[in-house]
Amino acid sequence: MKVIQTLILLMTAYWATADDHWSWQPLKRPAEPDDSRYTNPIDAFITAKLRPHNLSLAPEADRRTLIRRLTFNLTGLPPTPAEVKAFLKDTDPRAYEKLVDRLLASPAYGEHWAQHWLDLARFAETDGFEHDKIRPNAWRYRDWVINALNADLPYNAFVQQQIAGDLLHPKDPQAAIATGFLLAGQDMPDINLLAERRHMILNEMTGTVGSALLGVTVGCARCHDHKFDPVSQREFYQMRAFFESDLQLKEIKSGALTIRAMRTGKSTATHMMVRGDFRRPGDAVQADFPKTLNTAQGQSTEGSRTELARWLTHPKNATAMRLAANRLWQQHFGRPLATPEDFGTQGQPPTHPALLDWLATELPRQKWSLKAMHKLIVSSATWKQSSLNAGNDPSWKQGLQTDPKNRLWSRQDRRRLTGEMLRDTLLFTGGNLHPERGGPGVRPPLPREITSTLLRNQWPVSAKAEDHRRRSVYLFARRNLRFPFFDLFDRPAGAESCSHRMTSTTAPQSLALLNSDFVRQSAQHFAGRVANETAVPDEQVRHCYQLLFNRHPAAEEFAAARALAGSKGEHLTDLALGLFNSNELLYVD
Amino acid sequence: MGALAFSAMGAKQGIAPGAHFAPRAKRVLWLFMHGGPSHMDLWDPKPDLAKYAGQPLPGGFGEVMTRRKVAKNPLLGPVKPFRNHGQSGLPISEFLPHMARHADSLCVLRSCHGDSVNHPQSVYQMNTGSILMGKPSVGSWVAYGLGSENQNMPAFIVLPDPRGGLKGGPPAWGSGFLPATYQGTTFRPGDKPILNLNPPADRPPDRQAALAKFIQQTNRDHAAQRDQDDTLEARIRAYELAFRMQTAAPEIVDLSAETTATRKLYALDQKDCAEFGTRCLLARRMLERDVRFVQLYSGDTLGWDAHKGVLQNHTIWCRRTDAPIAGLFDDLKARGLWDDTLIIWGGEFGRMPMSEQGTGRDHNPWGYSVVLAGGAVRGGLAYGATDPIGLRAEQNKIHVHDLHATLLHILGIDHERLTVKHHGKDERLTDVSGNVVKEILA
Repeated sequence: MKVIQTLILLMTAYWATADDHWSWQPLKRPAEPDDSRYTNPIDAFITAKLRPHNLSLAPEADRRTLIRRLTFNLTGLPPTPAEVKAFLKDTDPRAYEKLVDRLLASPAYGEHWAQHWLDLARFAETDGFEHDKIRPNAWRYRDWVINALNADLPYNAFVQQQIAGDLLHPKDPQAAIATGFLLAGQDMPDINLLAERRHMILNEMTGTVGSALLGVTVGCARCHDHKFDPVSQREFYQMRAFFESDLQLKEIKSGALTIRAMRTGKSTATHMMVRGDFRRPGDAVQADFPKTLNTAQGQSTEGSRTELARWLTHPKNATAMRLAANRLWQQHFGRPLATPEDFGTQGQPPTHPALLDWLATELPRQKWSLKAMHKLIVSSATWKQSSLNAGNDPSWKQGLQTDPKNRLWSRQDRRRLTGEMLRDTLLFTGGNLHPERGGPGVRPPLPREITSTLLRNQWPVSAKAEDHRRRSVYLFARRNLRFPFFDLFDRPAGAESCSHRMTSTTAPQSLALLNSDFVRQSAQHFAGRVANETAVPDEQVRHCYQLLFNRHPAAEEFAAARALAGSKGEHLTDLALGLFNSNELLYVD
Repeated sequence: MGALAFSAMGAKQGIAPGAHFAPRAKRVLWLFMHGGPSHMDLWDPKPDLAKYAGQPLPGGFGEVMTRRKVAKNPLLGPVKPFRNHGQSGLPISEFLPHMARHADSLCVLRSCHGDSVNHPQSVYQMNTGSILMGKPSVGSWVAYGLGSENQNMPAFIVLPDPRGGLKGGPPAWGSGFLPATYQGTTFRPGDKPILNLNPPADRPPDRQAALAKFIQQTNRDHAAQRDQDDTLEARIRAYELAFRMQTAAPEIVDLSAETTATRKLYALDQKDCAEFGTRCLLARRMLERDVRFVQLYSGDTLGWDAHKGVLQNHTIWCRRTDAPIAGLFDDLKARGLWDDTLIIWGGEFGRMPMSEQGTGRDHNPWGYSVVLAGGAVRGGLAYGATDPIGLRAEQNKIHVHDLHATLLHILGIDHERLTVKHHGKDERLTDVSGNVVKEILA
């Protein structure tokens, strides 16, 4: 123990110097830069940083681009040709605002945004490891997230219920389901020793709360202190202590439901574990908040999950609030204002600290409404900027030169669809997306080459064929087998909390989009729909472009597309496939 | 950052650090014996175990953590005799008469050990260094670090046992927090080696050509209207690669040009060996085409997991694999591929000296053998030692991290410098440990 104590002393000395790290400074509401051109403070903050570089915001994208970008961003789907037409014709000055409201009110919003949160929650519906056993009620947590987002459950309540819903609302079974967040990680129920299993689950849970809700890596502190981590080994076990007595390793009955959730248990003594070894308990510790990160309140007095939940959502919890704001920004812009996963000293400082703090203080002011925050961000001139130099704007070149990586947001970035969005889009544009919502995860057929890598009967195909065409968020999430189409497009493994997906570009992606059964069948459906809606070959080609890209084809494109589709449109499926493989579909301007 | 599959693009984009020093091998062939082969019945002779067979574990060995309750069971003597082979006199059991022909080329690491008595954790650890799921596999680290030598093929190819059922599943060859580009691509024998490789039967070549042309033209026009965007360009190149793979991959799995003599060498004429032998032959064709990292699994759900009847179990699995592997070794030597290929033979752990159900053995991660071969390592060598009954690694212990560090070293990579930023930390295959076992290098 001497060694550990010495280490802690050393580390405390180190942290004294690291204490001025930006992300755990107390949160203060910054003054909004004075800029009469913009009513949205986001734009004032952004232009204040552009001005010294002689840059300004790029022009607003055209309305077709805007409705396409907005619909994808808020619902994960493209707009229909009719929606685009209506928006282009709407002369109401509030047309854009109405559009935002309509999209945020659509259930598709929750179905799309839930996936961001499910990534953070390392959600899957099986245990992982050898047997990868199904958790038959895990989908209830997924539905809880979707419904909470659609109902615009205030963000503080959204987080609190996932940490301590059972304690905050003991009579509400839904609130207990929300704590499924804590237990959504991998687990090996048949591991030799129950003590080892508990130890691993508690570590995993504590680590997930750290990375998902505080933006700091704490998992490594289970073994020893780390030079760059704001959370010491002692503090790791102090955080873990909030969960220690409530973790019961049996599924529990809550109302009529059997769910995997936390339940208040007998108080258990909490110890540090020497070198992270569960067989070597060290000093006893009390539940408490990590000191370096604690800008919100004094020490923990109760050591309860309720207390932790409130601390994690305290408006003065600078790290947690900045993280929430940073994540919102990232989901709208594709990149965060600061390195997303990590607010420790290894993370990059934000390019716009004042804006980040303004957004972090704005969230509670907007009564914690995520929809209000979305609206604020997507209504900014910053978000509505063009992502391409459509009008030969001379300042565009200057922007590219001065700000090549677009760190200052002098234009909008092009965004790639996720695998889930791409699958949904192929189904939706073909008129083939089954609209049913909620319920147990669905297993569409998979090639035998893939199921043969699993144990027997790990992928029984769902009985109802229309279920195979439901939105991606409802597909069964097996931890040991990511759904192949999503796997190709960088869906995280569900092994740990993921705040930012990678976007790799690979040949197997192309092969799947050219030859997989799913894409070929989607192309057939799509071509069938188009042929059904117009028999004129020229019109069929135009309709394809409207459905997939919300625009008319240019003359040259039209000629090439028409040639591929055949003189009588007999190869319309090939054209559909060709357009499915286009960058214009995968990347949103 | 986007990354383009299967090419050396990574290096050009500055994300792959490349080799740190001159490599001793440039390719890896990993023969993974799933289930846990018994070291004391194959590679690590234990006369004392024969002597004490039938008796309980002698005092002094302390408490033994086991998967099943076997700690107090009587010891089970080695189920096959050993003989010394080659000029080196390397002892190998009679389970493996064919590999024994190559005794002077084999480097038996007798002191390997890991951290978990469970299959999936140990499969993960042997493949990723961690007992938890979701970390990048060795193959993906190597692909990330060194890229591909073959511009038409993935750098990391896995040939799973067609019977399926690997414990822990596909995450064993996953890329974890590395880009998906680097994960293992599974290959199968037959005319559909890669999923989605072939155009469907109802798409004739002229339609396929028209489609390909349309896609590339459409995407080039799209990119031309947008300022230089690496991502868009990368995707155009990914399609070029996909089209090249459609030619290259079927060529790799087309065994029609292999002679009768070669087929015989891989024991394809023997019913029990034909399946594994075919995959060995495929592996050779991949190595020949400079695929960087090929991993070949033997063993279905149970595989080498001989909880009862070690003799029967290992008779079956050795019979299936021994002759094909020895033939593969002969072929690699004959074709000049031996010297710069590192070969690894091993499972996720070994087995206990105590008996289970009378004739079987439980999992043993505390001491077991892994065999290396190829020009980079000293042949005819038995390195390290377990205790007198084969329970725990005792001399010159080699943890899985050390094995990985050594493997990377042979490929010219300093395991402490092959890192990637993840959650703000420099992550690496060997976590915070790993020592290169220099004594085994040729």
